Amino acid sequence: MSRHRASEGDGGQPDETEPRSATHYHLARAVLYREYLIFVRYPANAIGGIVISLFFFGLLFYGGRMIAGQALTDSLEGIIVGYFLWTLSVGAYSSISNDIGSEVQWGTLERHIMTPFGFAPVALLKGVAKVVRTFITSALVLAVMLVITDTTLQLPVATIVLVSTLSICSVLGLGFAAGGIAVLYKRIGNWLNLLQFGFVLLISAPAFDLGWTGFLPLAQGSALLQRAMVDGTRLWEFPLVDLAVLVVVAAGYLLGGYAVFEAATRRARRLGVLGDY
Amino acid sequence: MATQGSSSERPVEEATPARGVEPSAAALVVDGLSKRFGSGADAVTAVDNVSFSVGRGSVVGLLGPNGAGKTTTIKCILGMVLPDEGSVHIQGVDVYQEPRSACADVDAMLEGARNDYWRLTVQENLRYFATIGGVDPDSVSDRHDRLLDQLDLAEKADQPVRSLSRGMKQKVSLASVLATDASVIFLDEPTLGLDVESSLTLRRELRRIVEERDLTVILSSHDMDVIEAVCDRVVIMNEGEVIANDAVGRLLSDFETQRVRVTSADIDDHLQRELGTRFEVTDVSTVDAATRIEVTTDSDGLYELFDVLRVNDVRLDAMTTVEPDLEDVFVRLTSAERR
Repeated sequence: MSRHRASEGDGGQPDETEPRSATHYHLARAVLYREYLIFVRYPANAIGGIVISLFFFGLLFYGGRMIAGQALTDSLEGIIVGYFLWTLSVGAYSSISNDIGSEVQWGTLERHIMTPFGFAPVALLKGVAKVVRTFITSALVLAVMLVITDTTLQLPVATIVLVSTLSICSVLGLGFAAGGIAVLYKRIGNWLNLLQFGFVLLISAPAFDLGWTGFLPLAQGSALLQRAMVDGTRLWEFPLVDLAVLVVVAAGYLLGGYAVFEAATRRARRLGVLGDY
Repeated sequence: MATQGSSSERPVEEATPARGVEPSAAALVVDGLSKRFGSGADAVTAVDNVSFSVGRGSVVGLLGPNGAGKTTTIKCILGMVLPDEGSVHIQGVDVYQEPRSACADVDAMLEGARNDYWRLTVQENLRYFATIGGVDPDSVSDRHDRLLDQLDLAEKADQPVRSLSRGMKQKVSLASVLATDASVIFLDEPTLGLDVESSLTLRRELRRIVEERDLTVILSSHDMDVIEAVCDRVVIMNEGEVIANDAVGRLLSDFETQRVRVTSADIDDHLQRELGTRFEVTDVSTVDAATRIEVTTDSDGLYELFDVLRVNDVRLDAMTTVEPDLEDVFVRLTSAERR
């Protein structure tokens, strides 16, 4: 292979520098920098997401107070925490699944697949970037929600970040699976986006009361986050089993989702539709 | 028509099938590649037992009409479409057994795809694709600058690609492929949709860069002029099959002096009919009240043509042999296929 061979430029002059191999560090820098540039250069999507999130929360809060009165106020803290996790989940899920669709449309997915690094580390780094991005926007939404409702929550930052991140990992897995299905069947992104409304059910699942629901995406994380933000429970105060379930669910859905994506792209290559849109 | 490609001293593969070729000796060996889409009565054979090899440092054109199987062949070679049969080795590595290693030194600009990120600037695209292609972009920044100069993109380096014209976007796409330092490049219809001037610039610069960096290029196009200007060798495809595989210059010389154009005011309908019965008349037109008739014949037939013209007292205004171009070669080959 002569990937990094020396070459001669105009007039037979050698290049000033010899090409050096890129490492995973360079890859991470490139992918994260690209995500950063898109975020700061085109903020309309992020701002639009924040505005829509707050609009729906306003409807939920003021509409709910008119209908349910004190009953809503009593459970407001739980609703805010659940809504915060829902905005995080929707942001991560839709950005990763839509991102894969865009990569197919632009022909860049095929280019990534044939590179020395492959698409897997790029997808993982994109996932990290999406999580960071949605944390920023969801934190803003959370702050405004707390101001609007005049509510106080516990904010043990390390616990919230860790539990939320692990919760979202399962959603990222679903995003990869949805992206893979979209690669195979095309133009079904809008249908797959409907799945995000199912997140409401998962977030409100009684993970501690019905043990098996803890193995659904988001459910265990939601229950732990409620305890952290409403009751002030710190990470080290959670039972080890509860944290283990959270980690297993996060890793399981993330890896499973990526496996679905890989299987779907392989099937798409067999059918010759990988680059079609 | 100038045949720039055929006059260079680049290594040109013999027009032999790939079978028996030692994979490591060539940059690319395609052997018995077949791909069918669909099943039963609706099945379509997009690629049918395609075999060819490409020597290191040569530029090979895949030529064929729309639907000939060029893009599917390229995607099969790159592993983006998995074939039903056949094997592909790039630099001696099996693409389907070791896809990551086989494509480690490869990049591609695929038909109809943007291939890059329009929301990033030109320079950012080059750096990004160099990195994912396995090269530290800081170590090739000089090369990127030169690439931008060569493709006339230097002034646009800090502009988002989305703000550029179609031709410029196409150049950025090419630049992002060349930015990766890959030595085997696939270009699928690189001039598709470009105006004449942009197409000319692109093919001129492409040829220059290819020679400068000693790249192996597989270029598909249905535009004969692009293939003729850039490629050393051409693989002509029709209906999924390879119907010719030879050096551009050799293909052209095979068809040389076989067409003669006779112009005279004395060619009437009767003579046209007579010529039509004896020769293959490929074109008849009127030029300044004279009739120009184009016949295809071999060297023996030329004497016969002279006899017919003499017997009919035809006073010649002009008689020229028509230099064949790839279009002639292609038309003759595909019409022979149909027969």
